Amino acid sequence: MLLCNKNLTPLQRRSIQRMGAALLLTVVTNLSTLNLHNPFRDLFPGLSQLTPSYVQSSVFLVGLISALSVLPVLLAVWVAARYLAAEPDEFIRALVVQALLWGFAVTMAGNAIAGVLMNIYSSPFPLTLLNADLFFASGLIAFRILQRSYR
Amino acid sequence: MTNRLRMLRAERSWSQADLADRLGVSRQSINAIETGRFDPSLPLAFKLAKLFHLSIESIFSE
Repeated sequence: MLLCNKNLTPLQRRSIQRMGAALLLTVVTNLSTLNLHNPFRDLFPGLSQLTPSYVQSSVFLVGLISALSVLPVLLAVWVAARYLAAEPDEFIRALVVQALLWGFAVTMAGNAIAGVLMNIYSSPFPLTLLNADLFFASGLIAFRILQRSYR
Repeated sequence: MTNRLRMLRAERSWSQADLADRLGVSRQSINAIETGRFDPSLPLAFKLAKLFHLSIESIFSE
C-alpha cells in the first residue's frame, strides 16, 4: 500500500497515524454541519435522524459545532509541525515541506474548481469543508511520490 | 555544487544504506546528495568530513 511502508521510521509511522486520526475527525465533524449536502448522508440516510432538531434553532450550539470543526484542522497542523520539529533528517524535512506545498496547490486548485461549480449550480459544494483532508491527503501522496523519485 | 561522495563511499565498499546508517540519515538523503539534487547543511557536511577524515572542501566543490 502506498502510505504503509515498512521502511518508515517510528516517528513517521506515529505521525501518519496521528494525521489519519485528525483527518477522520474532520470527516466526523463534517457530519455535524446540518444544512450542507453531505455525501455520507446519501450513503447512510439514517445519519440525518441522529441530528436532534433543537440543534438547528440554538445559536450557541451552531456556534459550538462551527468551532468544533476547526479542532481537527488545528490538530492536523499540530501533528505536521511536531513531525517537522522532530524529524532529524534534513532531506526528509525538505521533502515534507515540498509535499505540503503540493498539497496546498492541489487544495487551491480544488477550491477554484469548487468555486466555479458552486457559481454555475448555485449550490454549496462539500469540498470546502474537506479542505484539510484534501490538503494533508494530497500532501502525503506527494511525499510518497517525491520520496520514490530518490530511490 | 559537485561532490566526491560516491567515489569515497565506493573506496570503502559502503552501500548508500551503510553510509546513511553511519550518518543517521535516510538512504534517499545519500542518493540525493550524491546525484547533486540536494545540498547538505553545514552540520551534515561536517559529519561527512569527519566520517571520511577529510576537509569539507575536499569532498564538496563548486
